[in-house]
Amino acid sequence: MRETPLSNCEREFIRKALGERKRLDGRQAYDYRTLKIAFGYDRGCCRVDLGQTRVLAQVSCEITSPKQQRPSDGVLFVNVELSPMASPVFEVGRMSDQGVEINRILERCLKESRCVDTESLCIIAGEKVWQIRVDVHVMNHDGNLIDCSSIAAITALAHFRRPDVTVDGTDVIVHTIEEKDPLPLSVHHMPICVSFSFYEQGKFLLVDPSDKEEKVMDGKMVIGMNKHREICSLQVTGQMLLLKDQVLRCSNIAVVKVTEITEWIQKALENDRQARSNGERFGFREAVVMDTVTTNQMNPEKLK
Amino acid sequence: MCEMMCELGQLTRCDGDACLMQGETCVTTAVYGPTEVRINKEILDKATVEVVYKSKVGLPGCAEKMFERIIRNTCETMILTTAHPRSGINIIIQEMQNSGSYLACCINSACLALLDAGVSLKFLVAAVTCLIDNEGEIILDPNSKQEKDGKALLTFVFDNKDFSIVTVNTKGSYSSQQFKDCTSLCKKSSKQVFEFYKKSMEKLLSKDNFVK
Amino acid sequence: MAGVNLLSDQGYRIDGRKPNELRRIQCKLGVFKQADGSAYIEQGNTKVLATVYGPHEIRGSRAKLLLDRVLVNCQYSMATFSTGERKRRPRGDRKSQEMTMHLKQTFDAAIMTNLYPRSQIDIFVEVLQSDGGNYCASVNAATLALIDAGIPMKDFVCACSASFVNDNPIADINYLEESSGGPELIVATLPKSDQIVFLEQNSRLHEDNLSKVIDLAVKSCKDVYTVLDQTVRDHVSELSNSHGWDH
Repeated sequence: MRETPLSNCEREFIRKALGERKRLDGRQAYDYRTLKIAFGYDRGCCRVDLGQTRVLAQVSCEITSPKQQRPSDGVLFVNVELSPMASPVFEVGRMSDQGVEINRILERCLKESRCVDTESLCIIAGEKVWQIRVDVHVMNHDGNLIDCSSIAAITALAHFRRPDVTVDGTDVIVHTIEEKDPLPLSVHHMPICVSFSFYEQGKFLLVDPSDKEEKVMDGKMVIGMNKHREICSLQVTGQMLLLKDQVLRCSNIAVVKVTEITEWIQKALENDRQARSNGERFGFREAVVMDTVTTNQMNPEKLK
Repeated sequence: MCEMMCELGQLTRCDGDACLMQGETCVTTAVYGPTEVRINKEILDKATVEVVYKSKVGLPGCAEKMFERIIRNTCETMILTTAHPRSGINIIIQEMQNSGSYLACCINSACLALLDAGVSLKFLVAAVTCLIDNEGEIILDPNSKQEKDGKALLTFVFDNKDFSIVTVNTKGSYSSQQFKDCTSLCKKSSKQVFEFYKKSMEKLLSKDNFVK
Repeated sequence: MAGVNLLSDQGYRIDGRKPNELRRIQCKLGVFKQADGSAYIEQGNTKVLATVYGPHEIRGSRAKLLLDRVLVNCQYSMATFSTGERKRRPRGDRKSQEMTMHLKQTFDAAIMTNLYPRSQIDIFVEVLQSDGGNYCASVNAATLALIDAGIPMKDFVCACSASFVNDNPIADINYLEESSGGPELIVATLPKSDQIVFLEQNSRLHEDNLSKVIDLAVKSCKDVYTVLDQTVRDHVSELSNSHGWDH
């Protein structure tokens, strides 16, 4: 299906408002929308809401043979699915340009910055290693899919536990959860993407653009950074011309945003850890706000 | 039956959506429609119903396609397709958590999403799963561990007009008497699901924002 | 790759270059007859061929037609024999798809697209040998091909990569330096105004050092520009001589 175009009138309105330093949703230029992180019942499953943008990430693992060039390294695989649920423009099956772009940015951000220690995923060098797969499903598209996906992916990786294995000669025994406690992945650092959109040839810039703001922008810059202030990936997209100072200004803003988001993720992970260890209920249902008209709950009576 | 919980209208881009939790199992469904349809899929006298099922891990295989087909057939029976000729109704189902009684949860969430989208329906459907364990006992809404150990798994879909069967999906072996027992038990409990639909919609359309 | 010393104590790199020294650039315009513009470039051991067709009518799907500007269509492909290990698919994998998108984006920004509405310009880039800096060589080659085709641009587009080793930024990195795990920054600029058209960085680089690395990359782009500009001037004067036009 085709995208509903943004009318010229609306376009002008957004541009004009930006000129007066105002955004449609009342945010300041460098503000993020509200970030919500909910964990699923399974390990390595989380749902991230950034304003109305919603993304679901699930990490899974399986045993494969390693790549020839790196016989003692595990494999990290990132897959982004732009489900038609998120927007009618997304089609099933074929990977669109936008899909490839998000997929590659996440891949570069997570793989090439080596945030997950792949060497610890080796079982028998040259024969068996763990392949860690991150599936990111976009459920609702309201702009800034990259930031939301990157938060979901890294949170899911930090939340994931893989089964323990013992090697007996050439035999590999994979222990179930009941036998041995599953192990977390060793995540060295948490790279998080921060997106900036540019207007009027770089005169104005916004953090975390919404869908409408993205439709009006000249171009976009994505900075992937961790809380140690290391830039893990950087990319400029769109047809615009930038000066070096603008790049440096963005990287300074990114430092602040990444620190905030990392703290928020750690807090969410800690809450979930406590809920699990204290035997409280956990999973998506705990994130449901019950006192609105859009939600309902029922405990059916026992039959028979 | 286990506890049911739903969230409606959480997504902004689709016409209707529902997130249904039955026990630990959780499914989100989005509905677009009636909307334009690709020329080669257009049917002259009724709407084309399409279902896309997205599993959480990996790429869709044969099993997912089969699953998609079952849900599609159920939805097509329920939707008043002749009301929207030459248009499409797209249903997208996203797995959130599979902890047993999964097909039932998918169908129920699709029905809620269709209600939320305001698509014209002939009737509502409710799906209920039951399990026959090795002792021959019938368990309603089994979880995934029970499903693994059970003898047969049966999922029934009923309509709310005359409570006739819309879809049956079974796995494992059972006697015809057991089948009848399961049918009548599931039929009874399907009434509770319809009650849940009704309550949810009542609450959604109620005037006061907060329910006491 | 542990154990490899990318920068010696004397301050020389693996291939004997100084930190801010580029690899040797050799280029040629008008290598093909049938294309509207073509160019061949060698940057060290990276060899790239680029051809340009257009502006011409929209080919293929008319849905892509743009009413207010020209459609820039790019295709990036790597010859199967271009890398150490034989490549199975010359194009279509995610990395080349991404590269195609980046090239399109770069030239969309640099070409005066508003001059040819409802038309199309094709840029085909083929990497014959890859030794790091594929994007940079592709951009430089495509710029020359566009100039050969006579398509109006805002300026030359020059691209160069840079890295950061032992507290020193290094320019125009080769494959060995690229795959050693250090940061890799790729910049494409319009050299006259130093405006950045494209910027990409991979692997980890501390925020404090970003400025230094960008500075070196932008400066190297200027150096690339000097070489490209000279090539274009030589090519044009050679053409005019062969036509018997006196200056």
